[in-house]
Amino acid sequence: MPDAVPTMISCRDLTCRYGEFVAVDCLTLNIEAGSICAFLGPNGAGKSTTVKMLTGLIAPSSGSATVAGLDVVRDALKIKQRIGVLPENLGLFEDLTVEEHLHLTGAVYKLSSADTKDRSNQLLRALHLEHGRHTFASRCSHGMRKKTSLAMALLPNPQVLFLDEPLEAIDPVTAKTITDLLVTLSHRGITVFLTSHILAAVEQFATRVVLIRKGVVAWNSTIAEVPGSLEKLYFDLVESPAVEDLAWLGSSQS
Amino acid sequence: MVRVFAVLNAVWRATRRGQGSFLSIGTNNFLIFTAYFLRQTGTVLYLLIALLLFFPLSADPLRKIPRERLVLWPLERREWWALRILSPWLNPIMWLLAAATVWAVRRAVTWQLLASVAGLFALSFLLSDLGGGAWDALARRVPGFGGLLGELIRKNLRQMLSTLDFWLALVLSVATTIYRIADRPAPPEALLMMSLMIMLALSSYAQCLFGLDGAGGLTRYRLLPLHGWQILLAKDAAFLITALALTITLNPLVGLSAALTVLAIGHEQSVKHLKPQVRWRFSTGASLGNGVVQVAAMFIAANGVAGTSVLLMIPCAAAYAVSVWWFGRRLS
Repeated sequence: MPDAVPTMISCRDLTCRYGEFVAVDCLTLNIEAGSICAFLGPNGAGKSTTVKMLTGLIAPSSGSATVAGLDVVRDALKIKQRIGVLPENLGLFEDLTVEEHLHLTGAVYKLSSADTKDRSNQLLRALHLEHGRHTFASRCSHGMRKKTSLAMALLPNPQVLFLDEPLEAIDPVTAKTITDLLVTLSHRGITVFLTSHILAAVEQFATRVVLIRKGVVAWNSTIAEVPGSLEKLYFDLVESPAVEDLAWLGSSQS
Repeated sequence: MVRVFAVLNAVWRATRRGQGSFLSIGTNNFLIFTAYFLRQTGTVLYLLIALLLFFPLSADPLRKIPRERLVLWPLERREWWALRILSPWLNPIMWLLAAATVWAVRRAVTWQLLASVAGLFALSFLLSDLGGGAWDALARRVPGFGGLLGELIRKNLRQMLSTLDFWLALVLSVATTIYRIADRPAPPEALLMMSLMIMLALSSYAQCLFGLDGAGGLTRYRLLPLHGWQILLAKDAAFLITALALTITLNPLVGLSAALTVLAIGHEQSVKHLKPQVRWRFSTGASLGNGVVQVAAMFIAANGVAGTSVLLMIPCAAAYAVSVWWFGRRLS
């Protein structure tokens, strides 16, 4: 009998309500350590809300969840020390440069100055951010901001990574670097929980797929159990592309 | 011209929204209290405030439309020129200048004064394109402090530097210091008063410490493995450093006691009611009542320390420590 893989993220009936609107409805999930879980769904399906609840950004309305064996409500501070997060709005301070953001992260996670400097340099090189290290976040392009936030998530060497749309608005080379990096991290036992809209890319490296629609899980399996392509499953279970003629487009009338 | 008016309409809407931030005048401690106390003799002071207030307003309204968007629109050359000529009239300063021109013609205003004002306006109009680079250069000069909260303190100092409260306090501090250096003996009461004026200028900022962090900054605070009191302490450290730096040549003890007091009272509003602030404007306080309490406590504490005993710093520091602990818990 092989050793059971420990569960790193666990949700039981996790629910988030905004007034009458139910953003996430009774979400129940178990994500094993070292897996890459792709949490997919259309805009407004509840993906980011789930990430926010699991990372302590918002409190669940009901239900419970644990990350690295710690309760997301009771042990919020302890969880923060063990996770790296790329939040939806990137969470950057406009008045700090790219490099200063990394120094801030190193100091707050109590890394030595030498370690912070070494890791920062390596991350800046890996994410092609070296040229912009002294640029203020307010002056960075969206791609640079995303890479800065990702570097902040990676710098403290977290046990669990929560990445909200890490591949969107990123150049192809960096996207490839990130996906390769995530696979390497997963092999080293780091759990990755990510949201994305780029199904073809996710299909290449995710080990588990969860589809969510209107706050409810529509599919949850390993990638090997997905019948056919992920895109087809998504269109079948979550949402099919709208067919609108837009006859005025391409007509002679301007 | 339909396209020109469509663009002007969009610029006007954006400009009008920006002017809403000038409502800060109504809840800014310094502006309220000086308006009350110096209503007879504060002309020069108000010219100074007007200059600081109007400087950011004197920007090119066309900059409200992102440059990339503007160049992508299929505008013809004559439409560009029409926009260039008409858009400055969406700026209220332009109308003030026009009114001044009429007065100058009627000799109510001298041509020299009008030329000076117009020159200043034109300069600020041109500088509005260069502002970003100049600000970056200044922000880079803010030193780091090392340690757990060092980068946060640096960031908070930069935020303070991007408010008009700081620049007004700086002008008051520099002017008083120059007055002292010019070998003119100033009575201790005058130094006390000027220190209090400087702290009055900074006090509204203590009610909105998180106002310039934006949604991204607030998210990051929630993600950092820090206690609420540590985040608050980093905010306060920047405020205390600024207060000490600006009052060190006058009466630093008064500056420190006043700073501790306004922070102790301002924490409640800063933590409970996150009020977004606009850069290069005066800080918007929570309410007139809150400002009155804050300023009254500041005057009592500072006068006590200056007039009675330095030991009165102890209750100021104690009140501050309790406030950091209590509202830090709330922030957590």
